[in-house]
Amino acid sequence: MRPRPPGLRRLTRGARWLALLALLPSPSVAQTLDEALSLLSKGEYESAIDALEDITETVNAPAAFVALADALAAIGRYDDAAVMLRDAPPGLANELSNTLGVVLFATGRVAEARTAFERAVDEVAQDRNVARVNLAILEFRYGDRDEAMKLFDEFIDIYNGGQELGARDLTAVAQAVRYLSATNADLLHDALRAADEAIAADPTSLDARKLTGELFLRTYQGIDADAAFDNVLNRNPRDAEALLGKARTSEFNQQGDALERVQAALDVNPNLVAARVFKAKLHLAAENHEDAREELRLALEANPRSLEAMAMLAASYYLRGEREDYARIRDDVIAMSPEYPNLFTTVADVAARNRKYREAAELASKAIAVDERSWTAWGLLGMNQLRLGEISEGIASLDVAFEGDPFNPWYKNTLDLTDTFEHYDVLRTERFEILLHESESELLAPYVEEMANAAFEGLQKRYGDYTPPLPIRIEIFPSHADFSVRTVGLAGIGALGVSFGRVIAMDSPSARALGEFNWASTLWHEMAHVFHLGLTRHEVPRWFSEGLAVHEQHLARPGWGHQPSPDFLRVHKQGLMLPVSQLNEGFVRPRYPAQVVHSYFQASVVFEYIEGRWGLQAILDMMSGYRDGRTTRELVESVLGLEMEELDKAFVEYFEARFERPLASLDEAPPITGVPNAALDPPTIIRLARENPSNFLARLSAGIQLFEEGRTAEAEPHLRAAVRLFPEYGGPGSAYWYLSQIHEARGELSQAAAALARLNARNESDYRARIEQADILGRLGDFEAAANALESGVLIFPYEIEVHRKLAEAHASQGNTAGVVRERRAVVALDPTDRAEALYLLAVAYRADDDLAAARRAVLRALDVAPNYEEALELLLDLRSGTESHPLPSVTGRTP
Amino acid sequence: MSRVALPMVAGLLFGAFRAEAQSTHILVITGLGGDAAHSETFTNWADRFIDAAVERHRVPAESVVYLAEKPDGDARAHARSTGDNVRRAVAEISARAEPGDHVVMLLIGHGSYSGGESRFNLPGPDLSAADFARLLEQLSRQRVAFINVSSASGGFIKALSGENRTIITATKTGLERNEAFFGGYFVDAFARDGTDLDKDGRISLLEAFQFARQEVARAYQQDNRLLTEHAMLDDNGDAKGSYDAGPGQADGSLAQTMFLASAAQAAEHSTDDPILRRFYEERMILQRRIDELRAIKDQVGAERYEALLEELLVELALKNREIRAREGGR
Repeated sequence: MRPRPPGLRRLTRGARWLALLALLPSPSVAQTLDEALSLLSKGEYESAIDALEDITETVNAPAAFVALADALAAIGRYDDAAVMLRDAPPGLANELSNTLGVVLFATGRVAEARTAFERAVDEVAQDRNVARVNLAILEFRYGDRDEAMKLFDEFIDIYNGGQELGARDLTAVAQAVRYLSATNADLLHDALRAADEAIAADPTSLDARKLTGELFLRTYQGIDADAAFDNVLNRNPRDAEALLGKARTSEFNQQGDALERVQAALDVNPNLVAARVFKAKLHLAAENHEDAREELRLALEANPRSLEAMAMLAASYYLRGEREDYARIRDDVIAMSPEYPNLFTTVADVAARNRKYREAAELASKAIAVDERSWTAWGLLGMNQLRLGEISEGIASLDVAFEGDPFNPWYKNTLDLTDTFEHYDVLRTERFEILLHESESELLAPYVEEMANAAFEGLQKRYGDYTPPLPIRIEIFPSHADFSVRTVGLAGIGALGVSFGRVIAMDSPSARALGEFNWASTLWHEMAHVFHLGLTRHEVPRWFSEGLAVHEQHLARPGWGHQPSPDFLRVHKQGLMLPVSQLNEGFVRPRYPAQVVHSYFQASVVFEYIEGRWGLQAILDMMSGYRDGRTTRELVESVLGLEMEELDKAFVEYFEARFERPLASLDEAPPITGVPNAALDPPTIIRLARENPSNFLARLSAGIQLFEEGRTAEAEPHLRAAVRLFPEYGGPGSAYWYLSQIHEARGELSQAAAALARLNARNESDYRARIEQADILGRLGDFEAAANALESGVLIFPYEIEVHRKLAEAHASQGNTAGVVRERRAVVALDPTDRAEALYLLAVAYRADDDLAAARRAVLRALDVAPNYEEALELLLDLRSGTESHPLPSVTGRTP
Repeated sequence: MSRVALPMVAGLLFGAFRAEAQSTHILVITGLGGDAAHSETFTNWADRFIDAAVERHRVPAESVVYLAEKPDGDARAHARSTGDNVRRAVAEISARAEPGDHVVMLLIGHGSYSGGESRFNLPGPDLSAADFARLLEQLSRQRVAFINVSSASGGFIKALSGENRTIITATKTGLERNEAFFGGYFVDAFARDGTDLDKDGRISLLEAFQFARQEVARAYQQDNRLLTEHAMLDDNGDAKGSYDAGPGQADGSLAQTMFLASAAQAAEHSTDDPILRRFYEERMILQRRIDELRAIKDQVGAERYEALLEELLVELALKNREIRAREGGR
């Protein structure tokens, strides 16, 4: 904003309502109007309307008519307000024109609204500056944007002109400057300053306070925005626009109650189109087109020319593949507002939220073609280019977006992250482009490549030899925050990995604490999504892809993927398990904190059921159907031959039969809700187990308690009972672990190893159990099984040198020369203290694998560290002679 | 293959041999444990270090003095680790050490830092870094390695740094007050296999430092904890410790040439056989040329460096074979 001439400002404005009161002809009426205005300001709209209707019968005061119109508009009675204003005494028409324009504009009568605003301006009404900014907004939305910007620009002069401005005028200035900020983001500071001045001029001005909240949201300050809207609602708890503001901040702050909050706004004003559109957007994010369209129908009923509602409806049509309807509404919007880029950005945003990244990028490009200053469009383009693996193009687009919208944390975080890509190594293969941080690429690359190939080939075989678009880019981040930024632009995402179709991003094993996840299992899951998205052209619903991906994990390795838990089974017993027909809700709009995790497992069981009953082909047919734009309901009917409700019922029957024993063991309800149980004293735990012998948690808790007390003989029957009651349970405090410890202490190594094997087949991330299992198997002389256990440990935590050394020895004992090379490479990559020895042993491994060139390089590296290393010097001579055959040294009999 | 012209200073070789002829004197001090668990840990470290010095590194037992927190019943201990006994022990070592001898002092226990002063906690009055500085003045003609593995030991470097001195501390400053684990790994370096990082058959103080530093970092990383101890080594007398001490770094050159015992091991390379002596000398020359090549590694270019190194290494390997044959397969 241009600087104001010094010394010209005066802050002598009274309250807005006081200003209106000054227009009144007599003090006796003022008292009555004062009460009505008080009711209005507190949100008691109906009472205020009654009072104001009486007042306007007898008093020719513009303030009373404006207040009545405000009250009617506040509860969505725009038409009544328009009628009332038009029927007002002719002498008030000029002063009521702006208000009339507002209610007409809210119902889409754009031309009439324009006339009304122009009259207020031309006839120099007291609220002419408000009318002027409303006219500019109208022009911006439905007319010539350049012309609108000129009108907005006039407010700079109004502000700087030295004349005294009231709260209403300052709010108009703030509005205008907000629009001007599209060309200069710094102006947002000025808009905020003008709004603050408006509040200072009239602390009761809720319009200025709401605008402040909007500006905070515009500059991505969610907490401040929330406080600003709270400030309004403290004064008027039924201010629908503030309630909508709270809903929007809730979405921004990820508070999870946006839907409830927007409903609160609509309860006050059912014709608040912006609220309807916002609610529709939430429904679309949950892939709930039916409810979204109902909201949009109501929105367009209230305002048939609402660009936002039409754009959102276009998004729904687009996503559902209803291309004719989409084209029709798109053309309508363009005809109505040719320079409105948000048509395409809205569709692009919704498309991206529904995993249609290619389309989102294309739509964003169209938005840019309409308005090259649409920073949102540039941002959408850039973010989606990055999701498509078009890294340099994405960065270039985001650079433009960030220049125009420097407050945007998504753009900044993402650009900061891409700046670090120079510290990543890229491994390119026929199928993959694997991005690994330079600090761990040497270690992880062989494992990631091997696992990615295994997943690709396994899934390709299951999915009819389908080949997704190549290469698939796999980005692995050693910082969870970086993975999170790569995924959603902000830190704090709870996921372990994400698939954008051709790009997978995920946590490195170093990004998480030991035992938190199995990176290979996660990679398999994300690779499954690559196939699902490719096979369905990104049309697959969330529940389907997630459930099928977990099902694939289950099939890939025992123990991988989500497993059954007492917690989830209890949810079913409480009747909270979602029917298959509503399972998507569990992912996109969970009703309780654990519902997402529960939904992953439940959805996987759905596919276990479908594949078991109808075969894999049914799943493939359903994916083909999704690709062709068909709904789940249609596909269940055509492919499975069931009504959706029949599938819901059949699945419950399958589920209850599948988990009959554990479900029965959770029937009784002693006060034990989890293990380990710190809330109860030990004697109580043991008594409860005695009194509830068929209760899984009671028996498990007693077993653990007795074990901890060293009473292993007494613990064992409880632990065995726990296993009998819920054999699938391998989560925290699993009975298998304690049984393995009891067996090991007794020297019953085979039983101990078997118990650990059962545990590891039900838990993908118990590193300790795998290392223990390998140790016991080694002691039993079963080196191959021991090596397998260690291998599965590496898929959880690859950073322990000793594990790789043992694996190298185990592979050597089996003549697996390639395996030895991989493990020796891992040891070197982990920067062992005795680096010379590690390199020497790597050289030996290469030689045994007949890679003499690599052996020579490795031994030279060893000797570079330790030139007097005799064994290495001898190996160098041998390699130079190059004729001998060098088998691996045998370690038969050693413990891997 | 072309040969790079590398300087060769044969005279130094004999100097190097002579340097091996000195004796090593070791003083081990365990301070106050504070509780039974720490006392046990500190005693264990001291015992293992002394046993390793005598049994693995052939330091004569009479060259080792051990002042223990609780000497009663400990056959290795000579006296209690009071300040007076420390002073007495240093004076005795000073009296019997020849110029050029090596003196290794290892302090195991708790340290403190207050008011700008670093202290080592002993039964009775503590000794400060300044106290130790005064004690070391008696050893000005010897090479001294002063290793303080206590918490908050970082301040000792500034106080003790000097010519012919290697100062090693478990922490960077006096403000790293958490329990330090460096000492255990430092002792490990001498007491277990796999720590001879340059494969020359001996463990230098630099190797022990590098090994312990790396293992400490690994332990913290595996436990998912922030590293709260940063061991330091100073041996260039500038009173500034280096975490990354090593070849080519500011610190590490002196520590690389200090071992627990060298005279006995050096004797392995003494011979009356003139041919074998020549072989030894030729090997030393090759080793030095390799060292000189490594020193200019960054200037040579990777490919050429590898080729030159390989050529020298092959010569060295062949020379070793000659030596082994002459030694009768030893």
